[in-house]
Amino acid sequence: MTGTRLLRTTAIAALAAGAACHGDHEPPHLAMERTGAVTDVAGSKPNVHLVSPLPNGEWRLPSGDYANTRFSPLNQINTSNAQNLHVLTTASTGVPHGHEGGPLVVNNVMYVVTPFPNNLIAIDLHKPSGAIKFIYQPHPDPRAVGIACCDVVNRGASYADGKIIYNLLDAETVAVDANSGAEVWRTRVGNIDIGETTTMAALVVKDKVLVGSSGGELGVRGWMAALDVATGKEVWRAYATGPDADVLIGSEFHAFYPKDQAPNQGVTTWAGEQWKLGGANPWGWISYDPELNLVYYGTGNPGVWNPDLRPGDNKWSCSIIARNPDNGHAVWATQLVPHDHHDYDEIMENVLVDMDWPQDGKLQKQRKLLLHPGRTGFMYVMDRRTGEILSAEKYVESTNWARRYDLKTGLPDEDVTKHTGSGKIVEDICPSSTGAKDFTPSAFSPLTGLLYIPAHNTCMNYEGIEANYIAGTPYLGADVKMYPGPGGFQGELVAWDPVAAKKVWGVREDKLPVYSGVLATGGNLVFYGTMDGFFRALDARTGTMLFQFHAGSGIVGNPITYQGPDGKQYVAVYAGVGGWMGAVASPDVSADDPYAGLGVVGAMKELKKVTGLGDTLYVFGL
Amino acid sequence: MRRASTSQEHQREQRRDGRQDMSRPSRLTAPLLRLSGLVGSLALLSVPACTRAASAVEGGQASAGARPATAALGQATTRPVEDQPVGPVPGIGDVPPLANPLQGDRSALQEGRRLFVRYNCSGCHGGRAGGGMGPSLRDPSWLYGSTPDRIFSSIAQGRGHGMPSWGVRLPEKQLWELTLYVSSLRTPDEPEAP
Repeated sequence: MTGTRLLRTTAIAALAAGAACHGDHEPPHLAMERTGAVTDVAGSKPNVHLVSPLPNGEWRLPSGDYANTRFSPLNQINTSNAQNLHVLTTASTGVPHGHEGGPLVVNNVMYVVTPFPNNLIAIDLHKPSGAIKFIYQPHPDPRAVGIACCDVVNRGASYADGKIIYNLLDAETVAVDANSGAEVWRTRVGNIDIGETTTMAALVVKDKVLVGSSGGELGVRGWMAALDVATGKEVWRAYATGPDADVLIGSEFHAFYPKDQAPNQGVTTWAGEQWKLGGANPWGWISYDPELNLVYYGTGNPGVWNPDLRPGDNKWSCSIIARNPDNGHAVWATQLVPHDHHDYDEIMENVLVDMDWPQDGKLQKQRKLLLHPGRTGFMYVMDRRTGEILSAEKYVESTNWARRYDLKTGLPDEDVTKHTGSGKIVEDICPSSTGAKDFTPSAFSPLTGLLYIPAHNTCMNYEGIEANYIAGTPYLGADVKMYPGPGGFQGELVAWDPVAAKKVWGVREDKLPVYSGVLATGGNLVFYGTMDGFFRALDARTGTMLFQFHAGSGIVGNPITYQGPDGKQYVAVYAGVGGWMGAVASPDVSADDPYAGLGVVGAMKELKKVTGLGDTLYVFGL
Repeated sequence: MRRASTSQEHQREQRRDGRQDMSRPSRLTAPLLRLSGLVGSLALLSVPACTRAASAVEGGQASAGARPATAALGQATTRPVEDQPVGPVPGIGDVPPLANPLQGDRSALQEGRRLFVRYNCSGCHGGRAGGGMGPSLRDPSWLYGSTPDRIFSSIAQGRGHGMPSWGVRLPEKQLWELTLYVSSLRTPDEPEAP
């Protein structure tokens, strides 16, 4: 604690000194150091090494750090006093739709990006009750609302170079002066007429803004683009399907498994020209390892949903890809599921951490791991230098589409009776298309060495039907009906030991999935929310609930923590239910059609009874 | 503020991909049907989107093109507004609706259900029209009116926030078939009810 305080004092002094030169184009990694960010946390498990500086008082990146740990060393709020937490202030964003992201806090200003119309609200934390510093209104094209598959969500922003940088629903990226609210640049990155939207949180890596597409339900061919942080000009774009030249697979590429090594698989693993409508959109989280200089992200489902309409392995859908951020070139790729039958997007967070790993009977010190809790229900631990899968174990027991993974080949041992296709209704597939978890991100604590996973227990019946590609409309070919999985619960916060590959504890929800992000802190606390609106603090070691508050709407956002200008620690979270699984909370969706909302309504009928739409930022403190 | 120049390049690239562009003729327009018995009642086809559709339908242009859309409002618009106190003005429910010319045609109703899936309406509005990307069509809430002519108009013209203008793509008969299906939801006649 003393060490943290000392660093924080240094940081405040540095901030005061830095105020005069605000607007200078400082490299983001220097900015991180100025906030007193740390990589070594007092009390960490031995041999747990974090590769990215942690947010220590501020929250400048979508996940706090580059490694997607969502861990803050702040510890004023801890297991001894969490029961004293209470709401200090609230604020309305004015947009009652799914609030999936989380705010940023930089230089004592909090930045909130709303769902469409994607306003940026800056709140001055010096002022009591959070006075508005500015509101930037980008006015994106309203036609984008009709092509967004799963509510009009936005998953957050990055701060870099004096700018708040984020995506608009209509496939534009904007950079806004963090101090004045003036638009610095605005770049169109996609075309809504063919179904492209942008909902993910842009990540700034060095001098580049990384932006990935959404639109896997509309036959969008996925891409990741890098924009110049100063000008917004596109520097490189890597497609997820098509020839190697488009995927940026070249001389730097070395896939670990032979199945992933042949050239031009973005074309050859598809029939005809289906790859042009092949999906594989990277609409989730990006992480970055500054030591290896690699970015990591996962790709979504192949297009079209009905697998009979796209014979082949369908690369690079449902894959984890590592790229050199400087030129975009792929360094490795591992497809987790060939020829997806179930809409298992693998866009989930990739948590980067070095831990001792058992290999051939002894411990390999500080192996460079990538933790990926899959939509498939398997928890993948990979070597992030090579793409090798080191372990893949089920973290939700009902998972039945595959029995296990063959780590030698990197392929799942699938239950072929769960394979979907045209003209048949396949029943009792677990998990459902929404996954054993969805995009809502886990948190990792170096104090416990555990990953805290917001998990679902939902299953489905799936019928393949005809599909017609009509640009800008859904391209599915599936009639899906979801329902709660077996065991009497539908959600669970799972504390998972990635080295032992087993659950340490879990906190279950009877009727709803856990569909919020997770925050872990130096106070040995884990924060998360539930779809019926409870915001909770658990003891990170035991799962004991220490604090609970019922918010005005279900929570599908990601909690963050920061230190205010008064030196006190705060925790902030959005309460605004929505997104795919929250669709039925909207009065525009009827609970009597289990096939509504791409089949999700069947599993979520209870939601209308326990919560409604919301648009509120909550700030908690002691 | 400046916009990077990459957007147009990107869109051109997408065109080269051979994707279907909504602004160009589509294979969906191929099965155009003869509608000589229907066009007399299609006053609504005079809205711009529908006029284009009508011109693609044999016999559709001549009889449907002349009447202004406001004619469908009947007598309510005939007196000069400046001579009257302002209001009350008729609301959506105050105007006699146009009937669906296919009303009572069970095969047309089945066809409407089939088209609802074929044209990806189900992807947006839900497998049984309960909503999702687009609003539910099963509930009592109708943003643009629930009568057959209003539903036809919403399908044909499109609506803000993403409803495409299907009138530029589909023959009128199919628009009325889709209308028939939407009107049947939550009634005993609904095909493939959930």
